[in-house]
Amino acid sequence: MIPVELYILLASIMFTIGLYGLVTQRNGIKLMMCIELLLNSANINLVAFSANQPNVDGQVFALFSIALAAAEAGVGFAILISLYRLYGTIELDNINALRW
Amino acid sequence: MYADYAYLIVAMPVLAFVLCIFFGWHLPKGGGFFTVLATFGGLILSLGIFKEIYPDKIVHQSIPWFANFNVGILIDPLAIVMLLMVTFVVTLIHTYALGYMDGDPGAARYFAEAALFTAAMLGLIYSDNLLQLFIFWELVGLCSFLLIGFWYRKPSAAAAAKKAFLTTRVGDVLFLAALVLLYNNMASLNLALKPGEYLLQFPVIYAHIAQIPPTQLTFIALCLLGGAVGKSGQFPLHVWLPDAMEGPTTVSAMIHAATMVTAGVYLVARMFPLFYAAPNALTVVALIGAFTGLFAATMGLTAFDIKRVLAFSTVSQLGFMMAGLGVGAAVGVAAVGVSIFHLIGHSFFKALLFLCSGSVIHAVGTNDMREMGGVGKYMKWTAYTMLIGSLSLAGFPLFTGFFSKDEIIKIAYEYGVQINYLPYIMLICAATLTAIYTFRLWFVAFTGEPRSDYHKHESPWIMIGPLVLLAVFALGFGFFAQSGFYQYLDTNFEHYGVDFHALGVIGGHISEAGAAGGEGAGEPFIVKILPYIIAIGGILVAMLFYYWHKLDPGLVTSERDPIRRLLLKGYYQHEIFTAWFAETVVYGVAILFNLIDIKIVDGVLNKISEVTVGFGGNLRKVQTGVVQNYITAVVLGIVVLVIVIEIGMKVGL
Repeated sequence: MIPVELYILLASIMFTIGLYGLVTQRNGIKLMMCIELLLNSANINLVAFSANQPNVDGQVFALFSIALAAAEAGVGFAILISLYRLYGTIELDNINALRW
Repeated sequence: MYADYAYLIVAMPVLAFVLCIFFGWHLPKGGGFFTVLATFGGLILSLGIFKEIYPDKIVHQSIPWFANFNVGILIDPLAIVMLLMVTFVVTLIHTYALGYMDGDPGAARYFAEAALFTAAMLGLIYSDNLLQLFIFWELVGLCSFLLIGFWYRKPSAAAAAKKAFLTTRVGDVLFLAALVLLYNNMASLNLALKPGEYLLQFPVIYAHIAQIPPTQLTFIALCLLGGAVGKSGQFPLHVWLPDAMEGPTTVSAMIHAATMVTAGVYLVARMFPLFYAAPNALTVVALIGAFTGLFAATMGLTAFDIKRVLAFSTVSQLGFMMAGLGVGAAVGVAAVGVSIFHLIGHSFFKALLFLCSGSVIHAVGTNDMREMGGVGKYMKWTAYTMLIGSLSLAGFPLFTGFFSKDEIIKIAYEYGVQINYLPYIMLICAATLTAIYTFRLWFVAFTGEPRSDYHKHESPWIMIGPLVLLAVFALGFGFFAQSGFYQYLDTNFEHYGVDFHALGVIGGHISEAGAAGGEGAGEPFIVKILPYIIAIGGILVAMLFYYWHKLDPGLVTSERDPIRRLLLKGYYQHEIFTAWFAETVVYGVAILFNLIDIKIVDGVLNKISEVTVGFGGNLRKVQTGVVQNYITAVVLGIVVLVIVIEIGMKVGL
């Protein structure tokens, strides 16, 4: 049985990578990917704890979370596509029509 | 019964103003008959009130206004004689204006403004408190501005109106200062006022003058005098009066005779107890008055504009009135009667003179008397009424001006015996000059041969009628009214129980023990007959020069004579007051103040706003609108929070 600490370690590494990407990246798709990383690191935690102490609640919750992430990705990419059509780029720094 | 309707004396001209300004445009003669009727109604009412209160009653009505102030009507002997004079003279002037302004496209505006002018002056006269008087005073100033600038398309008229307004404004500010000072002093007495009494009401002021510190009294009196100097065209604020000739002649007649300029003299007369109690104030009044009298008379000698000559004579005669009040330091309250008598006599003959000159100008079409000449042959009525006016102004025996001016000179002599001969000497010289320049005007304009081609016709009857009526008064008023007038006016302040002896002690006019002055100490014979000599002598001098042409003015002066040039230039007043004082000194100071305003006052404010805007501008940059930056901030915040909590737990808080 893999100790739960390793799952937590993996999850925190993923979370950190995602967070780092979210702060530093300017490309829309990369940002979406980073958000996925954040969500999935949370999911890993949920599943790991669920398996560790027999209780399926966490796994159910992870399923919800994955479904939610899929929906979010769908909406997000749709927005990005229409942004690309409008501006010809998805570099978020260039999309500043509403900024001062 | 008439007294119950006293407010109508002001209300009717105001109504006429409203009617003229709204409907006058569609009525014949600009609706001028409204104005005439309104002032005539005022005359009837005034006569009725006079009958009711003569000889020993006063009318006093008052309603609360706001806070410590009231609105009220006070008709005492001083006010009623002024009311009668103003309504009478102004009614005649308005009647005359019906003819004079006929055909002027702005006639409706003229009659509206003239009605308002009359209303303001009448309101000023019977105000029962100083604040109300001040309000009407300002209204008079406004109306004079409007009327002097009546032909506002003419640049010189617009400039004259502005000059009149600004010059009198200097005085008005001083008047306002006096008002504030007086109110302050009255308030600090902590009087227990009965209901219906207010701090600035004249009876209340009269009753408590003695309690105000004398130095404060002098301040107040001098500030009031400043107001009177501005309004009554005394030196050095007389510069607007000759320029005020730019308005229609009827306006000049109104300003110079009945309304406006008499207001200053009236103010000093009204506040006479205060002036009397204030040390040195009356001396200043006497000196300013006498000096103005002489100063303006010399300028009248050289003017060629027929109206300017009369304007200078007004300034000069107002100087007589002021001096008459000022020498009250020696003769006490009798000075008020003497001065106001001259004021009223003067308003009759000055209105007459102005209306006559208007009649001449109407016919000849110019103001320059060098172009007239021989007008008397074609305008008999005008010439003879003007002769009566001139004789009266010159102080020819038995004419009104003789009685009133003689009396002022007499009390000035008494003042001389007791205190200082300077006002007396100046007034004697001024009176001589008055006789000379008046008849120079008359002879040059009305006798001899025509010097230019003008319409040789008499004015219409609507203009001649008022002239004749005024001439009757200029002729007979002095002779018939004098003694009764003095008696009546002397009782004026008795109604309020003013103790002139006590006030005189405060003012230093009467020593604690001694009686009031050497009453009728017997003047030398020469002083008694001097007024006759100067009046007749002055007229003879004028005849020698301008009627018989025995003497050529060139003998006495020449073009290059510095004195003549000085007089012709009006003592270089324009150069001194306007060119030098206004344009150099005032403008320089204005530039300085402007700099201070821009650099310091504005500068500080601008700096404050700059700092604020800059700070905001910098702070704004925090709100980038880039979500990533917010995330960074949130993460950093959490990290810091975690670290702080960790450390806290370690330390064991």
